[in-house]
Amino acid sequence: MNENPPLKVTDLRKDFPGRKGIGTVHAVSQISFEVRPGEIVGFIGHNGAGKTTTIKCALGLLKPSGGRVSLWGLPPASAAARKRIGYVPENPDYERTFTPMEYMTMFASMRGLDGDEKDWTALLERVGLKGWERTAIRQFSKGMQQRMSLALALQSKPELLVMDEPTGGLDPVARKEFRDIILEENRRGAGIFLSSHILSEVETVCHRAVMLSRGMLIAQGSMDELLGSERTFRLTAENDSGDSVELEVPESALQAKIDKAREKGLKITRVEQKMKTLEEVYIAVSGGGKA
Amino acid sequence: MRTVFTFSLMTLRMLFRRRTLWGILLVILLGLGGIASVPTFDVSNQGRFILDFGLFGIEVGALLLALGLAASLYPRDRETKTIMPLLAVPLSRGQYLMGRFFGAALVQAAALLVSCLGLMLILLFNGLPIPGNLLPATLLILVEGWFLLSTVFFFSFFASPPLNWPLTTMLFIVSQMSVAEFIGLMPSSPGLMRTLRLLLPHADVFHIKDPIAHGFEIEPLYFVVAVFYGLCYSAFMLSLALAVFRGRDLK
Repeated sequence: MNENPPLKVTDLRKDFPGRKGIGTVHAVSQISFEVRPGEIVGFIGHNGAGKTTTIKCALGLLKPSGGRVSLWGLPPASAAARKRIGYVPENPDYERTFTPMEYMTMFASMRGLDGDEKDWTALLERVGLKGWERTAIRQFSKGMQQRMSLALALQSKPELLVMDEPTGGLDPVARKEFRDIILEENRRGAGIFLSSHILSEVETVCHRAVMLSRGMLIAQGSMDELLGSERTFRLTAENDSGDSVELEVPESALQAKIDKAREKGLKITRVEQKMKTLEEVYIAVSGGGKA
Repeated sequence: MRTVFTFSLMTLRMLFRRRTLWGILLVILLGLGGIASVPTFDVSNQGRFILDFGLFGIEVGALLLALGLAASLYPRDRETKTIMPLLAVPLSRGQYLMGRFFGAALVQAAALLVSCLGLMLILLFNGLPIPGNLLPATLLILVEGWFLLSTVFFFSFFASPPLNWPLTTMLFIVSQMSVAEFIGLMPSSPGLMRTLRLLLPHADVFHIKDPIAHGFEIEPLYFVVAVFYGLCYSAFMLSLALAVFRGRDLK
């Protein structure tokens, strides 16, 4: 089926008025990327890089100053598009006198979803809020509100899940649980657009990544493309007098290098695979992020 | 429609759980109680006095309720960012505005009905008859309250709550003025002032406390036209509010 991609951003630009209304601040400029069906795309950038601005444009909360954003080819504000997405906001906050069950019931009704309290109890249990269904949100920690946010986003079994720093306020165990849920949702067929500056997380779960720095797109591609598809090895060799030499060698040239070192009478003491991380890639392409 | 209905109920529930509503309701009821305890020294006028000031108290209550319930709704939703998950997924901006408005309007209706019952009890307690037009008069005040509510929503999309209060109160005062009183504000431009007064709301149509207090009958058609006028003006203010809201970026 040749359907439009769940999320397509073309030459997006968003300007805000400067301080005291003087001048213009370019929050994002000339950003283009897409999220294809069933794909997990990481959205990487330092604080203030323009990730949240881009996401808000994609959800119709902000009006782009230029370019185009579409969800399955439809404008973000269209009801038909919104029905198909789930959204986990950054630092969510909810009406504090309400309980998660009240929120679940009301959101379901507003979305026209079938389902009853039994279903919502199961969903709240899935995100780790078992036993808290009828507790007022004023008693919740940031992490618990984050979990509730995820439950609300998953409620409609969305085809695209947009997550803005979803694991920001979570402990390591909760982060792992969130990652597992993201992967489960992806196996169900949902596309995921995951904004995060926890790069190890993006590296673990995402198929592709889009990198932003200072409002500009600086790189995008599959994990193999970004990390390099060919593995690199660190070779350590010693001569007779005990002096050691270290070399970084691509996998294709590894055997030849070892043979050459041996011909020269060097003793190979260590061969280890050098892991290139997304963090290294981001720092390299962004020139150190903010600086 | 179901979405707006559910969101209205959500708003209703939220407002009932806030202290603001109960505080305003207490002020209205204490005010009514105060009116009943003021001696008039003229037994024949006591009923008129209680009715006149009682209905005035309910009208001021409608203004306080509109401001107290709605002035901080949208600014608070924005500040706490509770608006983000709502507008990102289940609600359009129009549905958000209508849901919040209907929720607050229902709470206002309940509070004014309680105030009206309070006034009836005061009349009964003083051995005075309850005029047949008291309930319709309260209904007209309620329609005026809804108009004020829509005005508060309109201002709330570009003014902070502390600015919303004087703006709405000013419009409330102006809307009570006759054409002559309004021209008196700037006698040098009578044409301009007359046109302006024509465009500004005429809340004086909702005031029938004097005829009721004096025991005059009110034509049913008058109620129908006044309610229709109030609802049309409220719809107009809400349309303006929506136009402003649609142009807003939610940072």
